[in-house]
Amino acid sequence: MLSTETIYFVVLSAGFALGFGHCIGMCGPIVASLSLSMRGRKVLVPHLLYNAGRITTYGLLGGIMGVAGSFTRVVTEIASIQKGVMIFAGLLIIMLGLAMGGWIPLGRIFGEDCAPMGFLAREFGKMSETRSTVAFYPLGLLLGLLPCGPVYTALVAAARAGMEATHSLNGFIIGMSLMLCFGLGTVPALLLVAKLVDLRWLRSREIIYRISSVMMIAVGIYFVVRAIRY
Amino acid sequence: MLTKQLGTYGGAHPTLLGEESLVRLNPKARLFVTIFCVATLSLCPTLVSPDGKTKRIDCDAHAGPCVAYLEATLVSLEMSPKPVKAMQELTFTLGIGGEQPAANPYIDLGMVGMDMGRNRVNLTPEADGVFRGTGVIVRCPSGRRIWKATVFVPDVGSVEFVFDVVY
Repeated sequence: MLSTETIYFVVLSAGFALGFGHCIGMCGPIVASLSLSMRGRKVLVPHLLYNAGRITTYGLLGGIMGVAGSFTRVVTEIASIQKGVMIFAGLLIIMLGLAMGGWIPLGRIFGEDCAPMGFLAREFGKMSETRSTVAFYPLGLLLGLLPCGPVYTALVAAARAGMEATHSLNGFIIGMSLMLCFGLGTVPALLLVAKLVDLRWLRSREIIYRISSVMMIAVGIYFVVRAIRY
Repeated sequence: MLTKQLGTYGGAHPTLLGEESLVRLNPKARLFVTIFCVATLSLCPTLVSPDGKTKRIDCDAHAGPCVAYLEATLVSLEMSPKPVKAMQELTFTLGIGGEQPAANPYIDLGMVGMDMGRNRVNLTPEADGVFRGTGVIVRCPSGRRIWKATVFVPDVGSVEFVFDVVY
């Protein structure tokens, strides 16, 4: 059996490797959509907040797994929520794509210049830049619940560690710590995607935004279809 | 400037995606479009290869044990309950014929064509030549169902069984 410190390191490095190997593929479209929807604003702080939210959720899930000592029991309880979150993520990407392409009058949902057309647009328009940046944290909290194979695998490890814990609090702490390590490991890859899609270096961005918006809508539909079939 | 030609954000342009506009993109923009298109295609592997069917299934785990020879050692792996479903507790029973390993064998579960992280099933001896352990095959939202169980027998080697699971 591996020592506790070794397990943390293994999980952290697994998160790092999976971030580049798996998360870029499965969560990359979401991160790219968020970056693109910001249309030239600085992406680092919002994405750090998004990742902080995501890791917080992972940590809480890991803690619950550690206390329960059973992966399947907890996952069964949250399955319907995860399906809902996946549909939400798909719809969010579609909406961001439509807004970015100028097909719905929402302006920059996470940006600063909304055209004041309609109720939704007015409400989004009320969000100041600071507030919209802060909104990335709860968004990360929510999207941390997205069903994901490697996250499940890490949660299995958290549940196993919980089974071996001497008492519930110990199980919670070990499970949470494992998932925090895993989540931290995945951050570099997703931040890299966020920065790569940051188009401020481009002089001619509009056509890229239009093409990207079409792709975002396609990816969003793909997410929703997958969620329905999940 | 292309930005000026296309107008401001949200404005309509009839030739926006037309050949003429793409030709006018600066090299960096063209590079970005190319990378983005290639990345998106590779990011959605299920669109290209719907069920990871490039690797053959060599074991019907729902019908009975997976059996293979590891050098001269007969290795059998039984997963239960059946049918073998993802996201449920599974019991893995490993049978090893002939000379017994010096240390306990173990199984690494993984998805074919997609890295899902280390998912190890530690086995403990149950009887002579029989080892047992529990584990979970997780579900991938991509819809892929083909998994592999790599059995590691210390000092002997490893053998891989490829099978499908039920969602």
